[in-house]
Amino acid sequence: MTDTSTLLNRLANDIGGVQAGPIEQIEHQLEPWEKRCHALADVLDFHKIINTEEKRRGVESLGEVAMGKLTYYERWIAAFANILFQKAILTPTELARQMDLVAARSTGGEVRSNDPAVRSE
Amino acid sequence: MSTHTHDDHHHPVDADAPLGYYEVMETAVRDLLIGKELIGPEEIRRQIEVLDSRTPALGAQVVVKAWLDPKFRARLLTDGRAACEELGISFYDDTRLIVLENTDKVHNLIVCTLCSCYPRPILGLPPDWYKLKPYRARAVIEPRAVLAEFGTHIPDDVEIRVSDSTAMVRYLVLPLRPEGTEAYSEAQLAALVTRDTMIGVVQATIP
Repeated sequence: MTDTSTLLNRLANDIGGVQAGPIEQIEHQLEPWEKRCHALADVLDFHKIINTEEKRRGVESLGEVAMGKLTYYERWIAAFANILFQKAILTPTELARQMDLVAARSTGGEVRSNDPAVRSE
Repeated sequence: MSTHTHDDHHHPVDADAPLGYYEVMETAVRDLLIGKELIGPEEIRRQIEVLDSRTPALGAQVVVKAWLDPKFRARLLTDGRAACEELGISFYDDTRLIVLENTDKVHNLIVCTLCSCYPRPILGLPPDWYKLKPYRARAVIEPRAVLAEFGTHIPDDVEIRVSDSTAMVRYLVLPLRPEGTEAYSEAQLAALVTRDTMIGVVQATIP
């Protein structure tokens, strides 16, 4: 076994049986957008646009760094966007334009950021 | 959306603050899919109502019925989904449900090592700890230590079986009915069947 073999044998999601710390019994109520994101996942599955396996692979494809830093539903929506690009259902350009429209609609065009510290200023 | 409640947040968010990047992405993806008529404008709202209607109370109803009705219990163990559907619990996804019966020889525990698969139609959405690394990584290799962190101590002569969920196959634990509950009403029994008893991290007990 070389040092790199585990990189091939275990993708980032494949963590069953690895060493890990104590279980913190945390839970939270979903934020409204997180619940909408969950509902979107179900609806995409109903329409056979993105199924559960594709979603999981889409999350894995974000790479280990992004998987570690994004929250659960942030990973989902990012994966959906990438999968929809791959299936040629959306293009990156039209998503970028629509995101600008959504941001402008909600804030009157303020600069947006994912950093809560910046957001709350 | 009408589902918004202010006590939901991890941290306070100014209502006038710009939307977060991922929330903007979620809205934009939804707008575009609706614009292309790939999904209907009402479908997301309707699915949110479905998600809100699923709680561990449904699972408790299934467990209590199995405790009280041996024929139903047999059907439940044969085909979990069909037995739940008998009780009017619809499955909104294509998953199969396998119900795992705890006995005085076997204690069952469910996990999804790869991600977060869970019997959502009957239990609702999983708790955060179920989706996080420590539970997913350790449940399959040191289940007794994991159970101990939930305050659950299973005797050494009882086998612990851990079932790893997949996209298509989901599991539900049928907990042991506690001794001393022979005279309990259905409502009293249902109160003993918590979400965590049906994941298998705790046992059903009399308070």
